[in-house]
Amino acid sequence: MTSGQDRGGCPFSSTSSEADENRRGLQPARRDLLLGLAGGAIGLGLGSQARATPAGALLSGDDGTQDCQPFYGLRQSGVTTPQPAAALIASFDVLAEDRAGLERLFRTLTERIAFLMKGGEAAALDSRYPPPDSGLLGPMVFPDNLTVTVAVGASLFDDRYGLQKARPTRLISMEQFPNDALEAHLCHGDVVLQFCSNTAETNIHALRDILRRTPDVLALRWKIDGFLPPHTIKKLGKETVRNLLGFKDGTANLEASDETLMNTIVWASPNADEPVWTSGGTYQVIRVIRMFVEHWDRTALVEQQQIVGREKASGAPLTYANEHDAPDYAADPKGKRIPLTAHIRLANPRTPGTETSRILRRGYNYSRGLTDAGQLDMGLLFVCFQADLAAGFLAVQSRLNGERLEEYIKPVGGGYFFVLPGVQSRDDFFAEGLLRAAA
Amino acid sequence: MLDSRTTRLRLVLFGGAALLSFPPTVGGQAFGQADAAPIAPGAITITLTDAGCDPAKVGVAAGKTTFNIKNESKRAVEWEILKDVMVVEERENILPGFAQTLTATLDAGDYAMTCGLRSNPKGILTVAATSEAPAMPSPMDLVGPIAEYKVYVKGEVDVLVNETRKLTDAVKAGKLAEAQKVYAPAHQHYERIEPIAELFNDLDGSMDSREDDFEKKAEDPKFVGFHRLEKGLFTDKSTAGLTPIADKLMADALDLQKRIDGLTVAPKDVVGGAADLIEEVASKKITGEEDRYSRTDLWDFQANVDGAQKIVTLLNPLIVKQDPKLSARLHDNFAKVDVILAKYRTKDGGFESYEKLSDHDRTAFKGPVTALAEDLSALKGTLGVE
Repeated sequence: MTSGQDRGGCPFSSTSSEADENRRGLQPARRDLLLGLAGGAIGLGLGSQARATPAGALLSGDDGTQDCQPFYGLRQSGVTTPQPAAALIASFDVLAEDRAGLERLFRTLTERIAFLMKGGEAAALDSRYPPPDSGLLGPMVFPDNLTVTVAVGASLFDDRYGLQKARPTRLISMEQFPNDALEAHLCHGDVVLQFCSNTAETNIHALRDILRRTPDVLALRWKIDGFLPPHTIKKLGKETVRNLLGFKDGTANLEASDETLMNTIVWASPNADEPVWTSGGTYQVIRVIRMFVEHWDRTALVEQQQIVGREKASGAPLTYANEHDAPDYAADPKGKRIPLTAHIRLANPRTPGTETSRILRRGYNYSRGLTDAGQLDMGLLFVCFQADLAAGFLAVQSRLNGERLEEYIKPVGGGYFFVLPGVQSRDDFFAEGLLRAAA
Repeated sequence: MLDSRTTRLRLVLFGGAALLSFPPTVGGQAFGQADAAPIAPGAITITLTDAGCDPAKVGVAAGKTTFNIKNESKRAVEWEILKDVMVVEERENILPGFAQTLTATLDAGDYAMTCGLRSNPKGILTVAATSEAPAMPSPMDLVGPIAEYKVYVKGEVDVLVNETRKLTDAVKAGKLAEAQKVYAPAHQHYERIEPIAELFNDLDGSMDSREDDFEKKAEDPKFVGFHRLEKGLFTDKSTAGLTPIADKLMADALDLQKRIDGLTVAPKDVVGGAADLIEEVASKKITGEEDRYSRTDLWDFQANVDGAQKIVTLLNPLIVKQDPKLSARLHDNFAKVDVILAKYRTKDGGFESYEKLSDHDRTAFKGPVTALAEDLSALKGTLGVE
């Protein structure tokens, strides 16, 4: 495999890398690392260039349409790669009648996603036919930083396709937490596709492209769009996105570019008791968490801050000066500085034994319409990745059960999924390892 | 229409980069035919001499071929393409020293050419099967299926009129139970011929609107027709006040019958009608919004499917010729839908309430229905109908 192929034609080939990186405003240290990657280092994914691409691209006057994330690799993009501004998550029931149909589905996904993430000319047919491309991006499909990340749910491992014995050891179906009000039509799925790109239109184009080519094997189950402020994204690393409660959210998130950390916390470990095929995958948690923003907006600031544990304006932990100050909970056992019930303290108590329950969050805001009561239906499209569901999200959420914030939030949908390992070459396809393991 | 003989399915790639063509698709669909490259066959020149055809053996690819026939013999000749004893194409009275062209659309097979004098040996014309799409059906090829379809539609509208009379008579006589019983059997005949019935926008509005189409919903005085009766019969459970609505519906049904009788059915409405019916299923029948008061949605689900299947059956000889795989997929997916629907058949030939439809089957419908919608959307292109 040449490096150019590895990256699905993304502009990171060794011959053009310098120009590209200059254009993208990458720092020398990053450039060295990237050149090292381009020179054939394997197994790194492109997490190491996290948070560098979009900022540089936009600062140099580029409109971002040619931003491109790698398709081919040991791991899929869309996990540790930088978060672009727009997301769309679509969950599907698989209708394939047998294993062969399932393989056809994964091969089709592979081909389409490889094309969509790279871009190229939109094909067309005789005008008496419906055009096979929606035309949403014009005749020349541009990558626009698109990633389409393919994951599978526990239900795919039922008796339909005989995959039971190859099921990722820790993959379970999402269960109700005490504060959840899960709606059946917003939960679970055999396959989930996470589309992320610079614009909603690019995600929609990709979704419709895939739907057109999988009519008999995929049925949409639920779908939700997410967004992040583009201006803040340009300054990611220096600035943190605010959620719809108005608080900075993600200050203490893991550094996605920290390869060692990602190998420990995020990527399924080939050394663990997991099927060999899962190497390069990760567990994905998706939670549609509605926020009662009207109620929240009518809550005193001091109370909001006590509930979250941060200053609303600066994002600093309460009684600390700066957003990124690490609160010393050991010195505050009674919660005098930061209440014991504060969200940030429950989520990450920073005690020995809770290090492994860290997760890589990659959520988005969402806004849908109105509820039956005429209130705003909006909130957090929570997404996180971890190598171990129980030690990751489940541990964090169990600490959060009963938190004061629950009065203002209500998880209504989502599910647990396993992100498939990446497609390594043009001969490979999504779930090839899984299907072989189950053969 | 003129072009339909000559235009063939083609994949137009803007820059011609082959790698950007479609992958094999999961459902098949029109994209699957993308390998059918355009051909613009050069004319084959055949010179007729006193001794025969030169060349005497010609091989061409199936599809359209233009022959340039030059008469260099001393007498006026006719030139024919023969399939056994049948004349497939001919040019008569080509004068000495003149040339004529003939464009023939030929299926694969062995043919003979007449070469001037009857005593001259016949030439051999071999038409090779190609991987290219076969020639588009001609407008003439569609005449038969369209005529048959009109017979079907007329038959359906005749039954519609009879059944509607039973319904409206029962309503006007205040026979609630009887009216409830004949509602679905009557309405299904409208649903079967929807592609044609919908051509009459005014009648479609007054016969088959749903309350959603009106600002005041079910209470809107403009809400009339089948579904207004349905609401009265199944939600209000009363025939009170329905007489004017019944009278209007009966008059509309008779009007529809008359208009269909005088209608010239256009190929596009038939060929495109199959897709319209399935879109109707995909967007409305699956959700159970069609017959929300009576829950007789599965009757109309089946009726839409039957209407689409009728069109496909009539066109199938042409579809098979263009794309046998498409024909097979259509057949399979119709069969899959029918199998699921059959689970809900009642002994009297009707259907269970929509509420009995399981979540599993509602999801299971989506695969074949969506695949049908995709495949039928390609039908106009496949048959060269604009």
